[in-house]
Amino acid sequence: MSDCKALRNGLFGLLLAAGFGLAGCDEGSTALPQPGEPAKQDVAREATQPAVPTATPEKPRLESLAELGDQPLARRKLDIQSWQTAEGAKVLFVEARELPMFDLRLTFSAGSSQDGDVPGLALLTNAMLNEGVEGKDVGAIARGFEGLGADFGNGSYRDMAVVSLRSLSAPDKREPALALFNQVIGQPSFPEDSLQRIKNQLLAGFEFQKQNPGKLASLELFEQLYGDHPYAHPSEGTPESVPAISVEQLRDFHARAYAAGNAVIALVGDLSREEAEALAAGVSAALPEGPALPTTPTPEAPVAGKHHIDFPSNQSHLMLAQLGIPRGHPDYAALYLGNQILGGGGFGTRLMEEVREKRGLTYGIYSGFSPMRAEGPFMISMQTRAELTDGALDLVQQLVRDYLAEGPTEAELERSKREIAGSFPLSTASNADIVGQLGSIGFYDLPLTYLEDFMGEVQALTVEQVKTAMNKHLQQDAFVIVTAGPSVEQQPLPPPTDKPAEQPSGVPEH
Amino acid sequence: MPLMLRRAAALLLGAFYLPLLAAADSQPTHEFFLDNGLKVIVREDHRAPVVVSQLWYKVGSSYETAGQTGLSHALEHMMFKGSRKLDAGEASRILRELGAEENAFTSDDYTAYYQVLARDRLAVAFELEADRLASLKLPPDEFAREIEVIKEERRLRTDDKPSSLAYERFKTIAYPASGYRNPTIGWMADLNRMQANELRAWYEQWYAPNNATLVVVGDVTADEVRGLAERFFGDIEKREVPAAKRPLELAEPGERRLKLHVKTQLPTLLMAFNAPSLATEENARQVHALRLISALLDGGYSARLPERLERGEELVTSASAWYDAYARGDSLFVLSAAPNMQKGRTLEEVEAGLWQELDALKQTPPSADELERVRAQVIAGLVYERDSITQQATTIGKLETVGLSWRLMDEELSALEAVTPEDIQQAASTYFTRSRLSVAHVLPEEARDE
Repeated sequence: MSDCKALRNGLFGLLLAAGFGLAGCDEGSTALPQPGEPAKQDVAREATQPAVPTATPEKPRLESLAELGDQPLARRKLDIQSWQTAEGAKVLFVEARELPMFDLRLTFSAGSSQDGDVPGLALLTNAMLNEGVEGKDVGAIARGFEGLGADFGNGSYRDMAVVSLRSLSAPDKREPALALFNQVIGQPSFPEDSLQRIKNQLLAGFEFQKQNPGKLASLELFEQLYGDHPYAHPSEGTPESVPAISVEQLRDFHARAYAAGNAVIALVGDLSREEAEALAAGVSAALPEGPALPTTPTPEAPVAGKHHIDFPSNQSHLMLAQLGIPRGHPDYAALYLGNQILGGGGFGTRLMEEVREKRGLTYGIYSGFSPMRAEGPFMISMQTRAELTDGALDLVQQLVRDYLAEGPTEAELERSKREIAGSFPLSTASNADIVGQLGSIGFYDLPLTYLEDFMGEVQALTVEQVKTAMNKHLQQDAFVIVTAGPSVEQQPLPPPTDKPAEQPSGVPEH
Repeated sequence: MPLMLRRAAALLLGAFYLPLLAAADSQPTHEFFLDNGLKVIVREDHRAPVVVSQLWYKVGSSYETAGQTGLSHALEHMMFKGSRKLDAGEASRILRELGAEENAFTSDDYTAYYQVLARDRLAVAFELEADRLASLKLPPDEFAREIEVIKEERRLRTDDKPSSLAYERFKTIAYPASGYRNPTIGWMADLNRMQANELRAWYEQWYAPNNATLVVVGDVTADEVRGLAERFFGDIEKREVPAAKRPLELAEPGERRLKLHVKTQLPTLLMAFNAPSLATEENARQVHALRLISALLDGGYSARLPERLERGEELVTSASAWYDAYARGDSLFVLSAAPNMQKGRTLEEVEAGLWQELDALKQTPPSADELERVRAQVIAGLVYERDSITQQATTIGKLETVGLSWRLMDEELSALEAVTPEDIQQAASTYFTRSRLSVAHVLPEEARDE
């Protein structure tokens, strides 16, 4: 699910989505790439990496590459303005007058890590916001937004809950859309019949999960990785916890977690600073009063080990994880760069090259750090034919061991630095991109210059620094491993092709 | 799949309604041909110094014949395996190093390749794309490995995914006559016997400049793109391409029913009516009426299926309707729904409930209020679409590749506004009939009744 909005389908989407959508809707969403991260590739295609060394010497050179200049790349100018509302909400605003529209995105520290002993409470509260307000039922609210052409969105994850509005900026559309939005976020009535209906949809979703081995593996992985920590349980709750959740619990959670002091307001679009201030003031005043919620505790290190879920599929799903880092950690740039070389972002990584390109074992293999409020996971995931599960698992672990022992090569480092610099202009190209970046910067208390700072840090890194950081945060034998698939007799892996691991880059230095 | 507009259909791929955009004054769009027949469309969007380049080929799984399903998609994979100037995987490595986003996608009507990158690197995208159009290598050893990756893709996306598997089977009854029945990824039996030389033949048949459309959207000018296109694509020879026949269906094949047992926990219902597309129906208003019907049924949380069946009667836990008016041949109007098991609802009740909604469309014209709401969403959608250069390019590329004009996207609003409530009633009566209907009951395995 790459769209954070549309909870209607999103309920199912959330339940069914495998992968890294952990902390919030910024993770695993192409609409909101991580700072500096190239959007995820969907791999509907093909491969990458080093060309064969036996490449005939007369192979023509690419003219266009030779002609690339070395001037720094331009990108869309971002003048991020920030202030606090009277009630204590942090606002981040970028004026963008090109299109007659705006994107408003509220991020609350109200994800499932705030569930306490009621798994699913945060998500249900979020899902119930637009189900009723004084004088309007869910249908009337939906008609209200849709009749104005406005898109209301909501979503709830481990760290954050998000509520968003995209609307035309003309006052005759903007003002009624905002009035309705403010009612929905500030005075939801949580009608009992809606609660029952949404619970039923969640329960149906749990049934659908049972047909999804990747999802089952991910649930097990988080339980093993986080133990008693609030990240251990799924945001959507459990079949045991959801039925008992009451309207009173939702009201109480809303009053605490949707308080202005617990909110970040990100805003991008066709508005002046004065209009933005008035808009943010209105949103903030509509919310319950109150402070930020306490932050998430630090998880304890998990016990390494292997867990298998027997499932009657053709493929096995493999997930390997250990604890990574929290947001704002000083090693993030080094780990991000280190992971880009290992298995981040699709084709051309060591994992993709060895597992898919040289051996044809999988359609895709990815690794990544997901920094969250507390230590988020570092995770590697892939799928392969059931009879090759053990072999693939050994191979992946060996690749990680080698990488930790050797570190990246100079050439790999330089290539990845250029990649990250080159993708920078793409990360803020659209209003949707920008509002996502603002939400993330605000929510995790990052400096307004975060994107530039991150770029600068990445470009200054050395091989040794990357190697040191990777070894500081990852241990070769510390993986929690979960597999889901049929138990079948295992076969040895096919031999790899003898492609070289790398070749000099054809891209000029920048 | 890029053509998802404002929400994705949960079960299946398929555009819910096509992205609707208006050509803004600030976004001039230019169209020209190179001498070799390559069509180039440039849409200017100067908000950010980035550009998307997409090359669309008029070939896909609906062009394939029995025994050769999956060829177009497999060829797409092999397009990354080397050409005259590029070794296997090299193009991807270069693009990655430039920080570009790149990918490709294959559908029943098209195969497309794209790059999104900083504006001053567009030439690299063109050179790479032109090289593999002109001189693909297709090395047999690469193919031998790649076909294994494709089989993994099939296992991941179809065989181990009950909803996809069900829809794949369903299409074989819903399209009795046309190549739209072919799964784009190919039947496993066909993947098992696919040969590199078949791909060579497929490539030589369809990958010609005169069978492709180059779409560029972003911070560029027409002159700049023309210069680059001529430089890199201009020397590629025009070639004769087989006549592509539109996939035509029987208008009224008769009611077809399928009962499927898959590895699911919950049953689902699929219903589809054979219907024309904009490319096969002369009376465009009928087609636009069907598009409006899909919006009335499922165009938002206040639309009829969620309002009445999901929330009102609590008959379903989810329901959706979609219709692809922009197919190269005859299309389908599809409905899907999952019964509300907590309320003890059955597939039979859901099927009856959906029929009730379809019959209501025949009997009663939609209210002015309801139509006004759809219209407001369309107008806003015209603006929101323009936030994404990729969406704009994809809309243009798809329209052109199915044999329509990109200009249609600027005529959306007037086309939809021309549809009267009576048109909607008439389209419902014409197309929602038993003789056009295919139904699948998708059931858990344990419910198998012998």
